[in-house]
Amino acid sequence: MSHIIIGGEQFGERMNRRVGLIVGLLVIGGVVAASGAAPGSASQVDQSAQLAAAVQAAVSTGTMVHADVISTDNKTCFACHKGTGLTYEFPSGESVPATIDEDKWLASEHGHQDMACVQCHTGISRYPHEATATDLRSFVVNESKVCVECHEEQATMVADSVHAKARAEGNQNAATCSDCHDPHYAVNPPVSRTEVPATCRECHSAIYDLYEQSVHGEALTTGNPDVPTCTDCHGVHEIQGPDNSPFRLFSPEICASCHADKELMAKYDISTSVFNTYVSDFHGTTVLLFEKFAPDQQTDKPVCIDCHGVHDIIPPNDPRSTVFEGNLLATCQRCHPDAETNFPAAWLGHYEPDPHKWPLVFYVALFYKILIPTVIGVMLLFVLLDVFGRIRRRRQHD
Amino acid sequence: MTESYPRFNVSDRIEHWVQSVSFTVLAITGLVQKWPELGLTDTIINWLGGIETTRLIHHVAAAVLLFAVIYHIGTAGYRLYVLRQGKLIYPSMRDAWAAIHAVGYNLGLRQEPPKEGHFTFAEKAEYLAVVWGTAVMAITGFMMWNPIATTALLPGQFIPAAKAAHGGEAILAVLAIIVWHIYHVHIKSFNKSMFNGSITRHEMEEEHARELALIESGEAEAPLPPVTVVEKRRKIFMPVYALVAIVLLGGVYLFLTYEQTAIVTITPPEQVQIYQPAPTTTTLP
Repeated sequence: MSHIIIGGEQFGERMNRRVGLIVGLLVIGGVVAASGAAPGSASQVDQSAQLAAAVQAAVSTGTMVHADVISTDNKTCFACHKGTGLTYEFPSGESVPATIDEDKWLASEHGHQDMACVQCHTGISRYPHEATATDLRSFVVNESKVCVECHEEQATMVADSVHAKARAEGNQNAATCSDCHDPHYAVNPPVSRTEVPATCRECHSAIYDLYEQSVHGEALTTGNPDVPTCTDCHGVHEIQGPDNSPFRLFSPEICASCHADKELMAKYDISTSVFNTYVSDFHGTTVLLFEKFAPDQQTDKPVCIDCHGVHDIIPPNDPRSTVFEGNLLATCQRCHPDAETNFPAAWLGHYEPDPHKWPLVFYVALFYKILIPTVIGVMLLFVLLDVFGRIRRRRQHD
Repeated sequence: MTESYPRFNVSDRIEHWVQSVSFTVLAITGLVQKWPELGLTDTIINWLGGIETTRLIHHVAAAVLLFAVIYHIGTAGYRLYVLRQGKLIYPSMRDAWAAIHAVGYNLGLRQEPPKEGHFTFAEKAEYLAVVWGTAVMAITGFMMWNPIATTALLPGQFIPAAKAAHGGEAILAVLAIIVWHIYHVHIKSFNKSMFNGSITRHEMEEEHARELALIESGEAEAPLPPVTVVEKRRKIFMPVYALVAIVLLGGVYLFLTYEQTAIVTITPPEQVQIYQPAPTTTTLP
């Protein structure tokens, strides 16, 4: 059995005015329901007066009135819930603040839309309220199930998310709508880009701590909107995680969406050939082909994050970076345990082969650039001359 | 009456077809890796069953080609050392003059085509190209197949350089086959010697006039040594070749299995507790 706790004391222990008010509301609710009047009808104009009378009656008779249906009128709810210090206690012993700031509610998107409390809080039909959940977490999860009624598009996307998957596997901690979007006070757009990490931090604080130290997180927290926030890589509602093959496989495209953007990268003097040079190398070619033919399969070839780090990514010239020259061998050895000192140079470090940095590669490529047309050109010349000679001789013969 | 002149024995023909099949498979499974963006690549890789299977097929074909190479070292060695037929295949100044002669003939500056021996200048050029190309492909292929072993001895840059050479040489080889081989063997006139082992008198007249003249006068371009000499050399050659073949087969085995370049599992790039509520958390407003 759940109880409304007022001012930290159980109902019935102190019959104060507020309680009387609630009883009164229930009386009104009963009257409205019994008379068949549409909920939230014009009768609410006189509600205050009726309320006062009902409260008086209830208090004087000392009776508890149970109504079958509580009025859908928000005023009814606010009559209690704008009171400060309200908490709700679950059978599990957990309690949650039940006070709603009416001004903030009215300023919110849902308030703007004249949403009725009971449109979302559907399980409530009487007072004391029915116990809709045995504990706080299942209450939050249950209440969020109603969001789909209005937000079908987002709910469909969420259904494909790592959160929905985790919950389907029995993980109650997996985020649901109201974990990210405050249902009472959220404005539209619900969360600004720079606020996103703080929202995700609620559940992913260890990852947040890494992100905060990264080149991206550092910039975002100082107000630079150019850098990726959580949702830029993981998606918004259909949030994907590393256990999802396509997410890992296609992650280079996510990085490329900024790092191949010439205009954006020019601001930071970062090379935009990183994606092309990756794709033209063995690792990137393989990943590209997996994307095409086996998007649901994993490949052991690395994507960007395997070398550069994930949330704690820092510039390659930072001595702490996994791709800093001195750290490269250790990074290669994560997949190539037997690799030795010379091995990392087998990867051109996102550079196009040029005569100064990679002379051998450059000159071998140049050699073939000359050899192929020369050899094939000479062959073609001989062949064409032979064709020409044969035609000429045949004509002479005829 | 169509007289025929023997050109390739059964062993030669098997060698040729093993080589051409493995070459074709290598070319197809290799070029799709060189140009993964091409539309045709999609079709081929999909048909072959994905990139990992494509690479496996490439490696199997490479092994088959290496076996053909080892076999050819035996047959070529036998011909050069035991039978002393080197004169037939070694390029000489005569071939350079034959090439110039052919140009003059085709331009109408000379009335007669060059009179060539058992192998024409075009055939010798192709043979040398195949030897050179196979050597380059095998060496650079080994480097890419065993990058850790390679970089234990050589600078890391050799791996991407090997890749550049492997890709360049592949294009050169495929184009050479299309331009040179297909023209000379199939378009100019359809040479059936790799099917039935011999060529016609007409082909002999046109392409091997000097050899034909020698045959008709009862001579040979490279006369065979006496049977006793052949027997004596055979006794030396066979054990030496057996040893060489064993060493080379061991080399192929190493080529295929030398190193485990990379682990086949995926190491998570980050070790972090995914669900870790923030220290000051409020689940509901």
